[in-house]
Amino acid sequence: MSTALITAGPQNSIGLRSIAGRIGLLPALLVLLVAGMSAVDPQFYGIINILNILRNASLLAIVASGQALVIVAGGFDLSVGAVVALASVVTAKTMATTAAAFPGNTALIIASGVAAGLGCGIVVGLVNGFCVAKLKVSGFVVTLGTMSATAGVGLMITNGIPVYGMPDIFVKGFGRAQAFGLPTAVHVALIVILVMVFAQRRTLFGRYVYAIGGNVDAAVVSGVSIQRHIVGTYVVSSVLAALVGILLTAQVGSGQASFGGDRMMLQSIAAAVIGGVSLRGGVGRVEIVAISALFLTILGNALNLLHVDSRLQPVFLGVIMVAAVALDELSRRRNARV
Amino acid sequence: MSDLELSVMAGDTDRAKPLLGRWLWNAVLPAALVALLLGFAAFDHGVLSPANLLNIAQQTSYLALFAMAQTVVILTRGFDLALGPTVSMVSVGTALAMAGATATGHDTSLVLFAGLGAGFGLGIACGLFNGVVIALLGVNPFVATLGSYNIAIGIATTLSSGRPVQGVPKLFSQIFYGGSIFGVPAAIAITVAIGIALHLVLSRTVFGRSLYIIGTNPRAAAVAGLPVKRILVATYVLCSALAALGAIMMTARTGSGEPNLGGALSLQAIAGAVVGGTSLAGGRGGVGTAVLGALFITILSNGMNLTRIDGYVQMVVLGAIVIVGVLLDRLRMERSQ
Amino acid sequence: MDVDVDPRPDKPLLQLRGISKHFTGVRALNRVDLDVRAGELHVLFGENGAGKSTLINVVSGTFPPDEGTFHFDGEEISHLTPQRARAIGISPVFQEFSLVPSLTVEENLFLGREITSSGVLRARQMRKRAQALIDELGFDLDPSRRVDDLSRAHQQMAEIAKALLGKVRLLILDEPTASLTERETGRLFELIARLKSQNVGLIYVSHRMREIRALADRVTVLRDGRHIRTLDAATSTDGELVELMTGRKIDLLFPTIAHKPDKVMVDVENLTLADGSVRDVNLYARTGEITGIAGLVGCGKSELIRAIYGIEPATSGVIRIDGAPYEFPAPRRSLKRGIAYFPANRIAEGLALSRPIRENASMTVLDLPAFARFGVLRQAAERARIADIMAQLQLRPPNIERAAGALSGGNRQKVMLGRALTRELTVFLFDEPSVGIDVGAKLEVYEFMKRLVEAGAAVIVVSSELPEVLALSNRLYVMHHGRIAAELTGAEKTEQNVLSSFFRDHLTAEVA
Repeated sequence: MSTALITAGPQNSIGLRSIAGRIGLLPALLVLLVAGMSAVDPQFYGIINILNILRNASLLAIVASGQALVIVAGGFDLSVGAVVALASVVTAKTMATTAAAFPGNTALIIASGVAAGLGCGIVVGLVNGFCVAKLKVSGFVVTLGTMSATAGVGLMITNGIPVYGMPDIFVKGFGRAQAFGLPTAVHVALIVILVMVFAQRRTLFGRYVYAIGGNVDAAVVSGVSIQRHIVGTYVVSSVLAALVGILLTAQVGSGQASFGGDRMMLQSIAAAVIGGVSLRGGVGRVEIVAISALFLTILGNALNLLHVDSRLQPVFLGVIMVAAVALDELSRRRNARV
Repeated sequence: MSDLELSVMAGDTDRAKPLLGRWLWNAVLPAALVALLLGFAAFDHGVLSPANLLNIAQQTSYLALFAMAQTVVILTRGFDLALGPTVSMVSVGTALAMAGATATGHDTSLVLFAGLGAGFGLGIACGLFNGVVIALLGVNPFVATLGSYNIAIGIATTLSSGRPVQGVPKLFSQIFYGGSIFGVPAAIAITVAIGIALHLVLSRTVFGRSLYIIGTNPRAAAVAGLPVKRILVATYVLCSALAALGAIMMTARTGSGEPNLGGALSLQAIAGAVVGGTSLAGGRGGVGTAVLGALFITILSNGMNLTRIDGYVQMVVLGAIVIVGVLLDRLRMERSQ
Repeated sequence: MDVDVDPRPDKPLLQLRGISKHFTGVRALNRVDLDVRAGELHVLFGENGAGKSTLINVVSGTFPPDEGTFHFDGEEISHLTPQRARAIGISPVFQEFSLVPSLTVEENLFLGREITSSGVLRARQMRKRAQALIDELGFDLDPSRRVDDLSRAHQQMAEIAKALLGKVRLLILDEPTASLTERETGRLFELIARLKSQNVGLIYVSHRMREIRALADRVTVLRDGRHIRTLDAATSTDGELVELMTGRKIDLLFPTIAHKPDKVMVDVENLTLADGSVRDVNLYARTGEITGIAGLVGCGKSELIRAIYGIEPATSGVIRIDGAPYEFPAPRRSLKRGIAYFPANRIAEGLALSRPIRENASMTVLDLPAFARFGVLRQAAERARIADIMAQLQLRPPNIERAAGALSGGNRQKVMLGRALTRELTVFLFDEPSVGIDVGAKLEVYEFMKRLVEAGAAVIVVSSELPEVLALSNRLYVMHHGRIAAELTGAEKTEQNVLSSFFRDHLTAEVA
């Protein structure tokens, strides 16, 4: 009797703490950051700055939600940054070529460009998925290899020079357009996040991704086909990266092999990890990853506004990332004991 | 080289029967190396010229050093993404310390000591950070070293304001780049010496043995009373110290502290180790695999440069090689099981 | 039991002929036959390592057999996958749970057969069915809880519920009562009776005589991967079964050990562990005797000796070794004090499988000057010493440079035992010492313990195999729900007494 009472106490408080750890901490930090910055610098809540933040956060959130899916299934995708670049140059190049062949046929030009861009994503995703699921090479190594190869192809196509020649409407009417006062990228990101949240919670695919990441052996004996779903996660991740490449191309007005890159890849992993996605697999929710992407973007923006040397900014990202995971690890250990 | 590798691999899972098969599999990479060299030589005789071979050896020595550093941590199922930025940071720190010491009018030997002290100090600090975060706080090595990757980049670019740091004394470059021991260029001599020493450490010391056991089965190592946490911290410190040495050698070569020196080195070093046959699953690999992998990648890019293959195509080829290398290694393991 | 209305007595539901399965270095199944009829409960009986687990894995499609034929409901089946097995009505309940810890009970129940419409989950429908199933089974289980928040007994219930979701024609139960209480066990037995009346065939793995007596229609005995005999449960005696299982008379299996209890070597006072698996435990072990600890799976008996060795954290209590308090135990310090621990799971916690036997055997002594000086290994000395020890233990073949992973279960245990001979030790903690090894090797392990005790060591044996701890120990503690339920010596040391102390509080609960 008495021991039951004694153990009930700590169990409760740990329950609360883990709930705070799962959803509460990040939004709280976000609110704190926004409130603090608003107090310090009125420029922060200027409409231009806010739109800028939202646009950048959207792009990061899209890539990070794909990354999160791969990590939940127990993998890694180092190739996302390179896919952003490749999709960008392929989209621009295809549009330029189609425009030369069928001048004036804007719909065809845009459709072919977007299809080619997303196609790149599908191809890279399939290669990643095939090597990981069928050939059983570690995801880290595979995507390290495809990262190098994809970046190389992107540079080969362009020789490092930006690709122009896209229809005006693609840039002005899509990339730089605003609807309901928000840039296109934000709308796309919201749709992607909603779809991904739905997929994670309500579809067979999402459920199986959790199961595979949580306990592969259990998934196998329960009759879940592992390979297909692992390939699926890599394809989704690459396609979302390609989508960001297309958005960036439309926004900037040219296809560039310098988009994305290592920075985007590292940030997407950072966003996923800070957003509570466990590198052990099986745990992580896209909506929190999106909040984490917003948090990271605002943090970078805040450091800029505070005139913190831009060179010093990576230090903050590094420390926050390690601290987030270390805290998570420590609370997990404490949880395991009770 | 292959002797080293074989002796390192001798402990692997095999019965007497597939011994011949194992020999063949182990010979794949060295054979590919020779084929590669001959293949390039068919296009360009310059490939086999003594000058180019020396050039290859010299280029390899840097990557081999970094691949060895990675191998040490990969043996324990970890890796060090921060290796490249560590190199940048050490390069900048070394150059700044020497420039500062020169400016305050200290004599040359003191200047060199200041540079080496700052370089190794920064390297070891970085290794301690990684080791403590990974071993004591239990953070996944990927996240931990991704964190220190960002931190080291930030420090390197801030200290240097993003520009090369001048003021590296001539003598420094003369010793660590221009110098030679019995006619062997300094970079090669240092890497060979370190390689031999590291091989002895891995195969003959309690520390080395512990690395293999921890990498093969960390829980069994802990239950058997090995000081796993302490060894892991030491491993990351060793890795970063080796990276610092490489950084010092590269700084001597460029003659200035370069905040971008590390660039893609983290991944290149991992690729070198992995292509050579170091297993990311831990417990398998050694000096031999690191050197072999580094040699392979260097010869490939050297040959592609000489045969004027486009730099961008080279990236594609390297990417494919990494995947194929690991795939072959996995097949080899399956064979021997 | 009165199951005589078998509609098709000539056509068994499941018919296996000549099934063989090899793993690296082990022949797990050797031409095994098995028939299971509809409406029959068929017990698989055998020691650990006899091939029972492999056989049920073959039946449930997890391992493809190397050879042999597989008929289900008269149809020849080849290339069976877990998915296909479930589709045709073969439902396994594994002992190593097939649950995903990060998902909820409900999500686990439906894993692999979710109710969907075009890829979208029908959550409400699944919740309803899960609740209905759990209600029908009478389990006290919340379908929305995450599996990693559940106790082992509740996980076992979830696993059983998972197997019974959907159409079941052959149910496989692998020691299902291992972590259930008496009351839950009773409910399971009612359920089994109901399933039999619905013409479901059951394969039931157990070595508890009481359960076999209560449930079985027929019993198939396996030994060393071979089918020994299939008998009618009603006409066979316990002695007969045990004799078939062990291949010898039962009292021949255990060596007679001359216990000469001397001074108290390990003294545990009010020990409570951080995870609550052990509470207020008092226990002592003397030199010159084997102290046994018996209990159900999950009762805290392993955790207790792991805490003494220093791999489970304690929150309160005192451990004394040879009279001196031992604070903050840790493996390295335990070894220095002369305490050795032999883990139950030798693959996970004992051996580095791809490393040579030599390195595995010397793993615990790298701190001694005989094996390493100033951090440098003395490899020649190591080789000679380990070769000598392995020869003493009759490792076959005697090559110490082979990878530990190439060895059979028994030889792996010998490598672990070899560690005991590499340094001065006085306390030996054995956790399930005979799991996964064959009869011959078991005997050698027992002989090894006998030598240790007779040389004056203190030995503690933790085991779920009642006959084993009963025969080996001089004094026997029985643990239940993290506490010591009884201490038995001499004539009190009987299976009946152990069982009654397992179940005492449940029985009283039932009466009340």
